[in-house]
Amino acid sequence: MLKSIASRIGQTLIVIVGVAMLIFFLLRIVPGNAVATMMSEHADAATIARISAELGLDKPWYVQFWIYITGALHGDFGTSYALHRPVKELLLLSFPNTVKLAVLAALVAWIIGVLAGIVAAQKKNGFLDRIFMGFSLLGVSMPVFMVAMILQYTIAYKLHWLPISGGDSLKCFILPAIALGWNSAGSIARLTRSTLLEVLQEDYIDTARAKGRSQMGVIVLHALRNAMLPVLTMMALQLSSLLSGAVITETVFGINGIGRLAVDAISGRDIPLLQGTVLFTTVLVVLGNLVADCLYTVLDPRIRKEA
Amino acid sequence: MKKFAVLLLVLAMVFSFAACGGEKDTQVDVEPGLLRVAMLSDMATMDVAQTTDDYFVPMNVFDRLFEVKVVGDGVTDIVPSLVDTYSAADDSVTYNFTLKEGLKFSNGSALTASDVQFTFERLLTAGGVNDDIPLEVLGAAELQAGTADTLAGFVVADDLNFSITLAAPNAGFIAELTSPAISIVDKETFSEGFGMKIEETIGSGPYKVTEWVVNDHYTLEYNENYWGTAPTATKVVVNIVPDPSTQNLMYQNGELDMIDLGELDTSIVESTYKTKYADKIITSRRVGLTYFAMNANDEYLSDINVRKAIQMAVDRDAIVAGIFNNQATVEHGIIPAGVWGYNEDITKIPYDLEAAKQLLTDAGYAEGEVTIEIAMDSTSSSGTQLVIQVIQQNLIAAGINAQIKTYDESSWLALRNSGEMDCFVATWTMDYNDPANIMYTFYGSEAKTKIRSLNYADTEVMARVAAASSIIDDDARRAEYQALEEIIVIEDAAWLPLYENTHLFAIGDRVADFTPHWAGYTNFYAIDMIMK
Repeated sequence: MLKSIASRIGQTLIVIVGVAMLIFFLLRIVPGNAVATMMSEHADAATIARISAELGLDKPWYVQFWIYITGALHGDFGTSYALHRPVKELLLLSFPNTVKLAVLAALVAWIIGVLAGIVAAQKKNGFLDRIFMGFSLLGVSMPVFMVAMILQYTIAYKLHWLPISGGDSLKCFILPAIALGWNSAGSIARLTRSTLLEVLQEDYIDTARAKGRSQMGVIVLHALRNAMLPVLTMMALQLSSLLSGAVITETVFGINGIGRLAVDAISGRDIPLLQGTVLFTTVLVVLGNLVADCLYTVLDPRIRKEA
Repeated sequence: MKKFAVLLLVLAMVFSFAACGGEKDTQVDVEPGLLRVAMLSDMATMDVAQTTDDYFVPMNVFDRLFEVKVVGDGVTDIVPSLVDTYSAADDSVTYNFTLKEGLKFSNGSALTASDVQFTFERLLTAGGVNDDIPLEVLGAAELQAGTADTLAGFVVADDLNFSITLAAPNAGFIAELTSPAISIVDKETFSEGFGMKIEETIGSGPYKVTEWVVNDHYTLEYNENYWGTAPTATKVVVNIVPDPSTQNLMYQNGELDMIDLGELDTSIVESTYKTKYADKIITSRRVGLTYFAMNANDEYLSDINVRKAIQMAVDRDAIVAGIFNNQATVEHGIIPAGVWGYNEDITKIPYDLEAAKQLLTDAGYAEGEVTIEIAMDSTSSSGTQLVIQVIQQNLIAAGINAQIKTYDESSWLALRNSGEMDCFVATWTMDYNDPANIMYTFYGSEAKTKIRSLNYADTEVMARVAAASSIIDDDARRAEYQALEEIIVIEDAAWLPLYENTHLFAIGDRVADFTPHWAGYTNFYAIDMIMK
């Protein structure tokens, strides 16, 4: 098992280095000029040359790459061209909001998704099954921005139960978390239902029933553990992608998160900020995947044995 | 299935109840004097040397030597601000200024002539985006080039008195001093953190910055050392709300005391604000010009017949009526309405599709032979994108093969600044109320016309545009600018002026009155927001 985990860690490191190189070279290939964007109306050739030299953009690519890589290894991604602040500072400012939003959204998705999936499986083709699957279909198919706007209009604007936008308190994150988590809840509910139904057909479930276990006992103690393996993978992937920034939700609810930071960096061709956000979120995503793989290894004895 | 339908019906009723019910519970627990506004994006800096967009803090935290006061619709006056008295020598090259007595920065230190001198010298040497503003002061070029240590034309007599000598007469000099770019900073507290740290960004204006949470909000509070009348809005919170729809809901929910309607979809403005909040709307001219640029170096656009045909093929009245619901006015020249020197009698460009087609035929072009690319910045407002689409259709109707190509903002700017963009639509908003601000910027030199992808070729006209700043006699100067407009727009068909927008704001129940910036900026003077 340790060998398998070590191998996955090695692959993770390769992915991170690969993305670091890819983002560096891509940003130097795509058209557009960060200095021209910064200087806007004042971008004559002499000014562009002067500012480029100040930012080190006139140095050979390998020198720039060395500065970028050695800096990144020390957590230094440089200074944002547009915001005039160290990228590290901006990431640290945005990340707590993204974590808060992602964790709450994940909780919404996991709790609602798993419970809905279990109930739907237990009441297969029944009334509740149809209701929950109907809602999960809505969750999967409705765009996040639409859910966000409906919640904002009904819950915040008309009923005044929660704030429309902004703020640091937990209640300011409830609507964004529901908007963001609903989509994931739909997927989890459908997956939980289908895997649970599959597992409930297994022989060992019949054995458990024959031993006199109640239906709930069978599901919780025997079926759920096996049914949760693919669900767990999906959860981990969803969490890591939620942590990499939910641009639309952050924009609609005015949350200062990683997603908004990345979009600003892209439109302004803010190279250090873009490199920083991409690398930072890459690390989060691959670490999320790594954790999922490790959990999978721990939870599934077959994989443990193979490893 | 029946049960399912019933449940759906119940849910629909719950949402309907929410959508219809719940009267807004506004103005609860809002502290008196608090002004709450929203902006789409955060400021990058408070240092005006480094920005041409983030003027809210510079306008409210710092003072200028002069300010522009709105005295009527499209009528403005330049009034002294930090300056008590001033005089110009007969040669109109040297100006003597006396500051008001007892001026203080928000930290209590005195504002003196040395601070004004420091502001000028620092603006010229900061390497920022506004380093061309005081360039006409004697010795500015040398200071900028590093061949001089001080600004030769700026002489401090004592704490209150100083003189400025220009390299040549400049009729627009006093108007230029109203630009937010020349906001007076405190020489003593100036440091590397200026513009980024609130405790090191010290001004003498009505407010001081007391809080800045990046990408979330910033707060301004009344500066008790301010020399003028205290504002009724004693505290201003600027929330960063990137989604205009969210701003709309916040305003209607009583969470904002003013909303910039220019950021909202025009259909919402028409259906909601012009009906439900009609008495809350404040209108301002957005003094400036949206124009259609044509690159004179392009294969087809280098032919004046093609440029003239384009001028006649675009139906600007339809654009103003159809896209902006007449909340804009068609422009015909370069100097926009509301700017000194505006000529309402300039020769009008007619909309004449048949004449445009005939002109192209007479010039020997077959249908669809003339091919041009209209470059569109992907971050353009929805209104501008619609305008570009209408222009494209107008040009196709005239037999011109017009293609729209969308670029991201950075690529768009890089292409335009290279002088190689065929055509584009852009807007210029005035920095100060003088025609030189637009005439010289667009047609003052080969470098200026190239950077805007116009590549205007007549160097004699460019020399006249540059020289017009030095004409001291108002009538002679006005006549020269108007003659130049006729040559550039009508005779040479160098560009197509489109329209000047009207900027709408809506104030909340807690606001008694509001006077927007004279040029209709999104940024405004919070002291001009009168709270109830």
